[in-house]
Amino acid sequence: MAEPVVDERQFRRSEHSSIGIELELQLVRARDFDLARDAADLIERLEKRALSGAVKPEITEGMIELNSSVHDRYLALLEELRVMRDMVVEEAGILNLYVSGGGSHPFHDWTERRIYPSERFNALFERYGFLAKQFTVFGQHAHVGCKDGDEAVYLVHMLTRYVPHFIALSAASPYYQGEDTSFQSSRLTAVSAFPLAGHMPFVVDWSEFLEYYETMRGFGIVKSMKDFYWDVRPKPEYGTIEIRVFDTPLTVERAAQLAAYAQVLAAYHVAERPHAPARAVYLVNAYNRFEACRYGFAGEMIEPYAARKTRIGDDILETIGVLRPHAERLGAEQALTELAEVVRHGRSDADRLRAFREKTGALEDVVRESAETWAGGGTRKG
Amino acid sequence: MQLGYLPQFPPALTQPILFGALLAAGLLAGEAVRRYASLPRITGYVLAGIVLGPSVSGLLGPDALEVARVLIDLSIGLIVFELGFRFDLAWLKRNRWLFVAALAESTFCFLAIHFALMYLGFQALHAASAAAIGTATSPAVVMLVAHDQRAEGQITERMLLFTAVNSIFAYVALTLLLPFLRMEHTTSWAGAALHPVYLLIGSVLVGFIACVLMLGLARWLGKREDRQFVLLVALVVLTVGVARALNLSVMVALVVLGMLARNLDRRHVLMPLRAGHGGQLFFVILFVLTGTSLEFDGLWSAGLAVAVFIVMRFAGKAAAIYAFSRATGLRRRGAGLLSVALLPMSGLAVVMLHDAQSLVPGLRQELAAVVLASIAILELVGPVATQFALRRAGETRPEPRDG
Repeated sequence: MAEPVVDERQFRRSEHSSIGIELELQLVRARDFDLARDAADLIERLEKRALSGAVKPEITEGMIELNSSVHDRYLALLEELRVMRDMVVEEAGILNLYVSGGGSHPFHDWTERRIYPSERFNALFERYGFLAKQFTVFGQHAHVGCKDGDEAVYLVHMLTRYVPHFIALSAASPYYQGEDTSFQSSRLTAVSAFPLAGHMPFVVDWSEFLEYYETMRGFGIVKSMKDFYWDVRPKPEYGTIEIRVFDTPLTVERAAQLAAYAQVLAAYHVAERPHAPARAVYLVNAYNRFEACRYGFAGEMIEPYAARKTRIGDDILETIGVLRPHAERLGAEQALTELAEVVRHGRSDADRLRAFREKTGALEDVVRESAETWAGGGTRKG
Repeated sequence: MQLGYLPQFPPALTQPILFGALLAAGLLAGEAVRRYASLPRITGYVLAGIVLGPSVSGLLGPDALEVARVLIDLSIGLIVFELGFRFDLAWLKRNRWLFVAALAESTFCFLAIHFALMYLGFQALHAASAAAIGTATSPAVVMLVAHDQRAEGQITERMLLFTAVNSIFAYVALTLLLPFLRMEHTTSWAGAALHPVYLLIGSVLVGFIACVLMLGLARWLGKREDRQFVLLVALVVLTVGVARALNLSVMVALVVLGMLARNLDRRHVLMPLRAGHGGQLFFVILFVLTGTSLEFDGLWSAGLAVAVFIVMRFAGKAAAIYAFSRATGLRRRGAGLLSVALLPMSGLAVVMLHDAQSLVPGLRQELAAVVLASIAILELVGPVATQFALRRAGETRPEPRDG
C-alpha cells in the first residue's frame, strides 16, 4: 500500500472498495518439514527479483510476509498473488525450502523458534517474552479502502459482525505444537494473549476515535495505532480498515476470495447502510468468535441485530445471497460462488489438513501436502 | 588365613573399567574445554584420547576396546547414513549449480594438494593418493558440530552436502588409483584392475539392497518414530557388518543407503531423522578413540610438507566455493564461512590411508606421516573452525547457560 503519512491522526483517503492483502507464510525445510530458519536468506534473494508487492520478515525466522499492491478488482489481485507465489516458491526451492500456507505449523516447537534479528522484533521479544515466540502463527490481513475516518469507523462496527464468517471461511490451523486441537482455527488463541488484542471500543466517528487514541497515548499504553491488535481496525496511514482474523489459507486462490468477500461486504454496507452501529455486536462477539474457531461452519452464532441464533454456515450463505448485486458490480461473483461451495460441502482448509493427516498419520505429511497445495501442484518439480 | 576371595592387586583393568573411564574422561574433557575455553566438545574428547593413547600415557592401545566395537560401528554408521539421508536430489534439480559447485570443490581440492605434493618432490601416483585422502571433509566432525550447536541454515546444509560429495569423491578417486599403485608390485594386472570394480559396485549394491529392505519394512511398520528408529539401527549395523565381511567400503555402502532412502522414498514411508540423547554417548566414544589413534610424528619430520598440505587443501576448497557462490545462491560472505566449515579431517581419512597402505606397501612412509600429521592437526583445529563458521553464519543456537 502507498506511502504512510506521518501523522496517524490524519486519515488518508483511498479509493472506494480498493483491496490489498498481507499474507504470513511458513518457511519449511525439505529435510524434516519443520519450520526453517532461513527467512533472511530468502528475503535477500527476493529483493533482487522484480516483485510487484513486497516481502518482509516477520517475528521469527521461519516466517515471511507477502504484501500485495492495491487493487480495485479481485481478479487482478489474484493474478498478482499467483505471480508472487511462483517467484517465492522458485527462490525458496533454490535454498531447499518449501513454502506453505495454513494458520499454524502443525508440529513446530515454539521454544525452538528464534526471533528474526532486527531492532523491532528484538524489542517485541523483550516486551512480550514467550508470547512473541508463540506468536509464530500465520494470518492473512485484508485491507479495504475507505474514503474517510468516519466511514472507516462505521465499517469496523459493521464488519465486526462478520468476524465469525471470516474465521470459519479461512480456518486452517487445526494442529498446534504436534496436537490436534479439535479447533478449526487454533491460531486466534495465540493472538488473544496480547494485552491490546480484542476489538475497537464503541466510538461513533473518527473524532471520537481520535479522542480514545489520545487518551490511551496519554496513559502511555500505546505509542502508535500499530499497538492495537484488534480483529478489525482502522489503518489511517493506508486509508483502509484492516481485517486480521483470517488464518492464512492453503492457496492464493482462497486468499484472494477472502479479500473479495471483505471488499463486497464493505461495498454493500457503504452503499446501503443497512444498520446503524449497535452495541449488541460487541456483546455477542466473543461467543460467536469462539464458536467459529471451535466448530467452523457448524458453529452457531447470535445474529446481533435480529437477536436470533443461526448456524454460521447458513448465515454465510444467506449473506452471500444478499451481496450478489454488489459482487456483480465489483466483478467478484466468481469468488463468492466458490466460497459458497466451500460452505455447502463443509470443506474448510482445516478439514483438508485433517484429511492430509489421515493418509499416513504423520504430521510431516500434513506439511508436505500443504506445501504442495500452496505451490499449486505442477509448479514445483522434483 | 584363607583370603582367596580377594582379588589380585592391582585388579586387572577389565574392559568395562576401561570403557567407563574412557566415557567419563571424554565427557569431562569435553565439558571442560567448552566451559573454560569456549571450544567445541569434540576437541575435548580428542584431547582426552590423545592423553590416554599411545602418544602420551599409553593407557589405551588402538584396539583396547572390543566392547566398544559395535557402538563405534553404529555411531559411524548412523552419522554416515544421516549424511547420505540429507543428500536431497530434488534440491540439486532445482539448484543445478550446487552439484557443479560440490564437484568442483572436490576436484579443485584434489588438484591443489596433488600439484603441491608433486612440487615438493613426491611421486605423482603417491601424491595423487594423498590428495584423494585429503579431499574428504570429516563427516563425523561436521555432523557432530551441527548437532551440538543445533545449527540450521544454508551454510550448514551446504557444508553437509559438500561433505557427502567430497567423501565419496575421495573414496572413488583413491579406489580408482589402487590398480596403478599395485601395478608397481604385482604381476596380475587383470586382478588389480578388477579390484576397484568389485569395491565400488559391491558397496553400492549392499547399500541398495539395504535401502530396498528399509523402505519395504518401514512401509509395513507404519509411520511411527520409535519403530522406525529401531529398524534404522538394525539396518545400519547390518550394512556395516555385511560390507565389512565382504571387504567392501562401509562408508560408501552407508552413504548410498542414506541417499537412496531419501530419494527413492516415493511414498513417503520414512520418518525424518531426529537426533536423540544417545547421540552424545556415541560421539564421546568415537572421538576419544580417534584421539588415541592420532600420530604427530610427521609434524617434526616434515613440518613444511604438513603445512603445505593443509594450506593447499583449504585453498582448493575455498577457490571452488568462491567461484560458484553466486551461481548457487549463497549469501554474501557465505563462501568464506563455508570454506572454513569444511576444514575438518578425521577418522575416515585414517581408515582410507591404512587401507591404501595395507594394499600398497610402497606408499612412502614419509608421505603417510605427512597425511597423518595433517589429520592430527585438523582433528584438533577442524571442529573449532567448523563451530566458528557456523556461529559466525548465525546458524547456531546458544546453549542454555549452566554453572
